Amino acid sequence: MSSVSGNILELKNVKVVYDNVILALHDVTLNVPKGKIVALLGGNGAGKSTTLKSISTMLASERGKVTGGTINYDGNAIEKQNPSQMVNMGMVQVLEGRRCFGHLTVEENIISGAYSRKLSRGDINQELEKIYGYFIRLKERRKSQAGFTSGGEQQMIAVARAMMAKPKMLLLDEPSMGLAPQLVAEIFNIVKELNEKEGVSVLLAEQNTNVALKNSDHGYIIETGKVMLEGTAKSLLNDDKVKELYLGISKEGRKNFRDVLKEEGKKKKKKVN
Amino acid sequence: MADQILFFIEVVVGGLLAGTMYSLVALGFVLIYKASATFNFSQGAMVFFAVLAFVGFMQDFNVPFVLAFFLAVFLMIIVGLCTERLVLRPLMNQSEDTLLMATIGLGYVLEGLAQAMWGVEVRRLDLGIKDFPIPWIADNLKLFISAIDLTAGIVAFGMIIGLTLLFKYTKMGLGLRAVADDAGAASSIGIPLKHIMLLVWSAAGVVALVAGMMWGARAGVQFALVDLALKALPVLIIGGFSSIPGAIIGGLLIGAVEKVLEVYIGPFFGGAIEGWAPYVLAIFFLLYRPEGLFGEKIIRRV
Repeated sequence: MSSVSGNILELKNVKVVYDNVILALHDVTLNVPKGKIVALLGGNGAGKSTTLKSISTMLASERGKVTGGTINYDGNAIEKQNPSQMVNMGMVQVLEGRRCFGHLTVEENIISGAYSRKLSRGDINQELEKIYGYFIRLKERRKSQAGFTSGGEQQMIAVARAMMAKPKMLLLDEPSMGLAPQLVAEIFNIVKELNEKEGVSVLLAEQNTNVALKNSDHGYIIETGKVMLEGTAKSLLNDDKVKELYLGISKEGRKNFRDVLKEEGKKKKKKVN
Repeated sequence: MADQILFFIEVVVGGLLAGTMYSLVALGFVLIYKASATFNFSQGAMVFFAVLAFVGFMQDFNVPFVLAFFLAVFLMIIVGLCTERLVLRPLMNQSEDTLLMATIGLGYVLEGLAQAMWGVEVRRLDLGIKDFPIPWIADNLKLFISAIDLTAGIVAFGMIIGLTLLFKYTKMGLGLRAVADDAGAASSIGIPLKHIMLLVWSAAGVVALVAGMMWGARAGVQFALVDLALKALPVLIIGGFSSIPGAIIGGLLIGAVEKVLEVYIGPFFGGAIEGWAPYVLAIFFLLYRPEGLFGEKIIRRV
């Protein structure tokens, strides 16, 4: 199926419930074409992280459950798999908030990413050198304890660690969180480079709409667990609603997406009257 | 005067060596605490269960020493396997308190099982090492040091080195340390938690067996071992719950301090302060250095 459509990942009408009662995702349908970067945008609590976790099957550890729809990855339906099986299938999630192993050194952190692969010591060193090629900054700090490195470095560790698993697809959850603009740019450059040179497909959850869209091919905007808008990254960057709501380019200040829709509804009514 | 100093050294050395026994038990706690951030209340029961099985194999089935040891190791791995499958996995993602309660329950199950299988009477365990002063040391250094204490010290030291190497240089060890830091992140990069749990509980089981053999050789294999194992609690408070070196040093410290206090201050209290002095020390640590001597400090970046 995926070979026909060219999508490595397809979500169709996915619905997620936490604790059997809290509906977190109403209806999410999205596709990630092979070898592309897709941005998943939205505010706090929109359901970005939940969407990513439903794909990586990390939901179960937070008592969440996919109750409707289908998730298809690389030709396989994702249902009963566990995170370590997903990693073996080439899908790795970089969790929100970096989540480095604070008491391990930078290098041990990165090596831990290769846990699922059966590599000899020599192979690991080879892979490590390759990874350091992308993350030059980490090579300098390889012996430091990860807990004492900067936020930007920790984010790099998290991505480098995920890359050690040799993924076909990366799920990045808010890599820009709490970082200076310059570091955000640096990290997105690395992600792009990995995408181009290693051919990893990327699904990226972000609040930083501008940076995310500039670095991706396609975008989805979700709000309260529903996809509200989708399109190529370029078209979204030029979309008036997106500009007003997510890029802050507006005369009237910030608004909620629903308010904009309501206003538009009112305008239409006026025209009818 | 020289006699008094010699006596003091003897008390301290005796205490230190007895302390290695505490260290051995504390090691088991540390292993499990590292992986699941839970104080394993069933560790004492594991000690009892393991050593009773070992003695049972030897005495009831006439199995030779070495074979009985490996059978007991095998049994403890089975216990680890069952614990992972029947207790830990169903409780995954529950709070640490829930897990703590589960370990208390597990303790009762193990105690009951052990007694149901091997009976309730106190058994003698003869390791071929005597609880008498070693003549050579007694003659040459004029110190009276029990052979069994010295053996326990050497065994504990060996286990520490083994475990440290295991954690530092093996893949499993790296996985374990990763899980100890952040289980969620570890599973996100494909480290299978169940393997790590199995490893940790089996290792704790083997440590329990060795600790039980040392204790049992001295005091007899009996139910009291379960409570003795709780002596590890002040050891852990002093050493730090997550530190292997901490468990060792904490054990030595408790051993030495309790003996010295018993001998020199005990008479003022009518003796037998060994039983509670370590807890007083632990309370001071809780007040002034809650992470213990070697506990991992919470890393905070400024």
